Amino acid sequence: MITMTPPPQSPERQEKLLADALAIVKEQAFEMKLNLDKGKLMDALKQASIMLSELRTSLLSPKSYYELYMAISDQLRHLELYLLDEFQKGRKVPDLYEIVQYFGNIVPRLYLLITVGLIYMKTNKSLRQSLMRDLVEMCRGVQHPLRGLFLRNYLLQCVRNILPDNVEGGDGEGTVKDSIDFVLMNFAEMNKLWVRMQHQGHSRERERREREREELRLLVGTNLVRLSQLESITLEKYCKLVLPGILEQVVSCRDAIAQEYLMECIIQVFPDEFHLATLSPFLKSCAQLQPGVNVKNVVIALIDRLASYASSPEVASSPSQLEALFTIFSEQISLIIQTRADLPTEDMLSLQVSLANLALKCYPERVDYVNTVLENTLNVFERLQISQVEYNSSVSRELTRLLNIPLQTYNNILTILKLSHFTPLLGIFDLEGRKNMAALIVNNALTNGTCISTSNEVDLILTMISSLVTEEESSSLVEEDPEDFADEQGLLARFIHQLRSDIPDDHYQILLKAKSHFMKGGQKRIRYSLPPLIFSAYRLAYRYADMKEQDNDWGKKCLKLMEYSHGLAGSLAKAEYPDLSLRLYLQGTLTAVQIGFPSYEEIAYEFLSQGFSLYEEEMRDSKSQLSALTLLAGVFDRASIHFSEENSRPVRNQSSLAAGKLLKKPDQCRGITLCAHLYATINPSTNQVEDAQKVVECLKKGVRLATQCMDPAVQTQLFVELLDHYVYFYEKGIETISDNMISQLIAKIREELANLDSSEETEQITKHLENTLGHLKGRSNSGIVI
Amino acid sequence: MSFFGFGQSADVEIVLDGLENRPLAEIKAEDGKKERHPLYYDGESVTGKVNIRLKKPGSKLEHQGIKIEFIGQIELYYDRGNHHDFTSLVKELARPGELLQNTTFNFEFLNVEKPFESFTGVNVRLRYLLRVTIVKRLSDIIKEKDIVVHTLSSYPELNNSIKMEVGIEDCLHIEFEYNKSKYHLKDVIVGKIYFLLVRIKLKHMEIAIIKRETTGSGPNTFVENDTIVKYEIMDGAPVRGESIPIRVFLSCYELTPTMKDINKKFSVKYFLNLVLMDEEDRRYFKQQEITLWRKGDKALKGHSSPHVPNHLVSGEGGPRGTEPPRPAPDNQSAFEDFQRDNDDEVEDNQKNINEAPSQNMNKEDPPLKETVNESQQNEDTLNDGA
Repeated sequence: MITMTPPPQSPERQEKLLADALAIVKEQAFEMKLNLDKGKLMDALKQASIMLSELRTSLLSPKSYYELYMAISDQLRHLELYLLDEFQKGRKVPDLYEIVQYFGNIVPRLYLLITVGLIYMKTNKSLRQSLMRDLVEMCRGVQHPLRGLFLRNYLLQCVRNILPDNVEGGDGEGTVKDSIDFVLMNFAEMNKLWVRMQHQGHSRERERREREREELRLLVGTNLVRLSQLESITLEKYCKLVLPGILEQVVSCRDAIAQEYLMECIIQVFPDEFHLATLSPFLKSCAQLQPGVNVKNVVIALIDRLASYASSPEVASSPSQLEALFTIFSEQISLIIQTRADLPTEDMLSLQVSLANLALKCYPERVDYVNTVLENTLNVFERLQISQVEYNSSVSRELTRLLNIPLQTYNNILTILKLSHFTPLLGIFDLEGRKNMAALIVNNALTNGTCISTSNEVDLILTMISSLVTEEESSSLVEEDPEDFADEQGLLARFIHQLRSDIPDDHYQILLKAKSHFMKGGQKRIRYSLPPLIFSAYRLAYRYADMKEQDNDWGKKCLKLMEYSHGLAGSLAKAEYPDLSLRLYLQGTLTAVQIGFPSYEEIAYEFLSQGFSLYEEEMRDSKSQLSALTLLAGVFDRASIHFSEENSRPVRNQSSLAAGKLLKKPDQCRGITLCAHLYATINPSTNQVEDAQKVVECLKKGVRLATQCMDPAVQTQLFVELLDHYVYFYEKGIETISDNMISQLIAKIREELANLDSSEETEQITKHLENTLGHLKGRSNSGIVI
Repeated sequence: MSFFGFGQSADVEIVLDGLENRPLAEIKAEDGKKERHPLYYDGESVTGKVNIRLKKPGSKLEHQGIKIEFIGQIELYYDRGNHHDFTSLVKELARPGELLQNTTFNFEFLNVEKPFESFTGVNVRLRYLLRVTIVKRLSDIIKEKDIVVHTLSSYPELNNSIKMEVGIEDCLHIEFEYNKSKYHLKDVIVGKIYFLLVRIKLKHMEIAIIKRETTGSGPNTFVENDTIVKYEIMDGAPVRGESIPIRVFLSCYELTPTMKDINKKFSVKYFLNLVLMDEEDRRYFKQQEITLWRKGDKALKGHSSPHVPNHLVSGEGGPRGTEPPRPAPDNQSAFEDFQRDNDDEVEDNQKNINEAPSQNMNKEDPPLKETVNESQQNEDTLNDGA
């Protein structure tokens, strides 16, 4: 008698039970083979039945039972081979199929019946139809889930090579139709047994039970594999017989584990063209599955499969098959989303993601399909009354995935602009999410070098990525990391260079449009966004200059651009970025003088003077003052040739004045030395150096200032630098610089150097000097004493 | 027979004619050992020779006459020595006289009526024998020889299937069906159990064949129930809507035809007992009488090849395949009640004894109507009998 105490689950106990059972199997199998060798079939059958009685146990876990089953079915192979051999020799045992049914216990009896039935079917084809039916029906006697599953698995294994697989069958041989009926029935019964496991035993053992069921699911799924291996199953048979049979069982079993597994199984084992033809019934069944079923995974698996199938070359060539694919999926997914209230929002989105994938893979040219997906998604949010999703929540992640698909596929944000529901969907994100998405968009444009070449598109895109462009109240209390902010805005700044057109007038319009967006960015952002805009404007001005032959209005247009840049630089100045603004003004000066459009001098001067006034009004720390002064001097050096005396003088004077006002002596020294250069410019009217006397005065003042420095090292350094300037002017041929001056300076430096403690600094200065002297040595015609 | 070692004695041998063509049939002797004897049918003549061999050649054997009897008798074990001969035929072989040498007598019982089947039961034995008696003054010399008689029946004219719904209210409702009510001894019981309602945890189900031997009458009635076989037909717990096939081959069991009130001395009846056992080892059962009958061997052999299985599901004479699920019954009153058996497993399950009074279904008062399906079953094997 089988005891009904719950099976002891401890591994040791299982091991022991299994070992005991295996020992009996081994012993009986040995006896059985011995008897077979002697030709004593009846005795052998008895031993086989004793051996098989081990499978009556209720004590083994599925895993141990499986091992036992494997050992026994191995042994049954001997019996099978013996019988096959005998039958093929013509030595048939009369009524063997009946004799094995004399055994009183059902489990051994049915195993033997199957084994013998197999021999009959192998040796006499005309029995196949009837015996298959008989076996699959008789197995109903085993209603115990575990034992029944293995018994039917044995049945399925045995017949796997003899299932009729032909459309027409001789007398009793059976056709593929019989095979379908057979496997479907076996499948239905196995599934029922498998599902029934769930409802047996204590509820506290549910987890273990589910784990055990997972271990056994392959047994059930094998039925579907067998079906898929029947080559005579045509599409028509699949649609009319196979799939409806499977689906009916799957839906009616009302078990989440089974449904999810089996639906995925169907997708896996049957060919794509079958799925293609049966989308609607399959997806309809999906909508009817139990609440616990992860329908998303099932549908996505199918979509993904069909998507890759549809994009394979042989299918893509016959698009007629695929026409309805998207529509069916789209409708059925909407249906599933509506009927299954339990579906998490992120799963609904995942479904849309898959759908979008499908649309893009199969219909790359159908932008409207993707747009439909986005619209559906938007509707989902509307229906659920979700107006905002939190960044990094699962819904937000899925939404990002969804929006990223067209982005990554088209790799062209201009195509994205055609998706009218894209930007509204972006609005569902919170600020953080939108920024993230905007960064993805911008990155994509940069990677792919996408140019946005109309002002309308610029308008749309900047609206789309407004989270980066404009200042917005962040709901987040966490202060933004300045580095992240810089990265983000740096990215945006790079993107600005993509806003361009080959048609200059269009480009101008783009600049205007971009300006209107970026000016909303607030102080923090314009620092990053305006400089590229200004440079873009300068570049456009150059282009106008290049085509002045074709465009009579080029000058006016350049002027406009300069005004545009001037305004933006002014904004930066107002926003307390004087350094930046100053540099941009100076750049403007250079641009103006280089292009030379009508009345450029005024413009150039205006820019320069704006720069100067920034210097005077805003520059407070000596370091930036000096570097600004350096820049001013440099620009003036390039621009002065275009300036009239009346514009040049104030610049020179102001510069000298400014240099003198510098706080530190070394800075004063360097500043005044720079001023020397302002006087060394060539006067356009005289073609002479502007004021050689002033040059030398400045330099002398520099030397004086250097001597006033307390630190001998700094002093020496300054002397060396001064020496360079002397040499520069000397070589430029300014006659006020004499050989003697330079010789004296060199002597002075040598003297100072000797007094310096040796240090790295000293070494550098020495090196600097040597380089300069080396340069001088190359020019032997001079009277300079080195 | 000589007790004192003197006087003539003789060995008597009864040799039946045509033994080489006559099959032997097996039957249990009183001591339970199996014996094989020539097989005769009703109306067949029993002929043969009686050989008498004198033990002391040359010496004569005086006798008061030699006779041979053909006897059919019923022996009730509780009434030893009191045989009821229902047939007794005598042939005189020799008038009183002397036998001087070994002698052979021919005998003939022509077209003997043999109304009953040979039978060895628990309390009763029905046997046929030939008895040669050499009547002597002191002790007769007697020699007996058993023969076995099988009674053949023709195919029953009416052979309905047995179909019935039984149940225990709100616990278990099943419908069972056996394809016939009358089976020949090599027949196959084919049927199915359909579960209409299952609210108890069943463990397994079996079909038992019970042989009930009733002897005596009135207060001296003895009933012996013998479970000939238990045949498991289901393992595990079914759910509503399951249909479990039954296929039991009778030929592998030792069965006799049903015998009804044989010479007013005894009866042998057979029952199919459907037993369901739940996880607490409670047993639920329902007994149905079936009639067994013996069919001529020749008809049996008229069957198809022994290498082609018979009685397959949905084949001729086989169980039918699944049927669509039916709704659970709502009207319980129509069911024959199951009997719940507690006596059977007393030593296994002590607990049941305590439960017995309340759990036991009313055995004495068979409740409710049977719903035996009277519809004519199409008998596929009708032709076999012809």
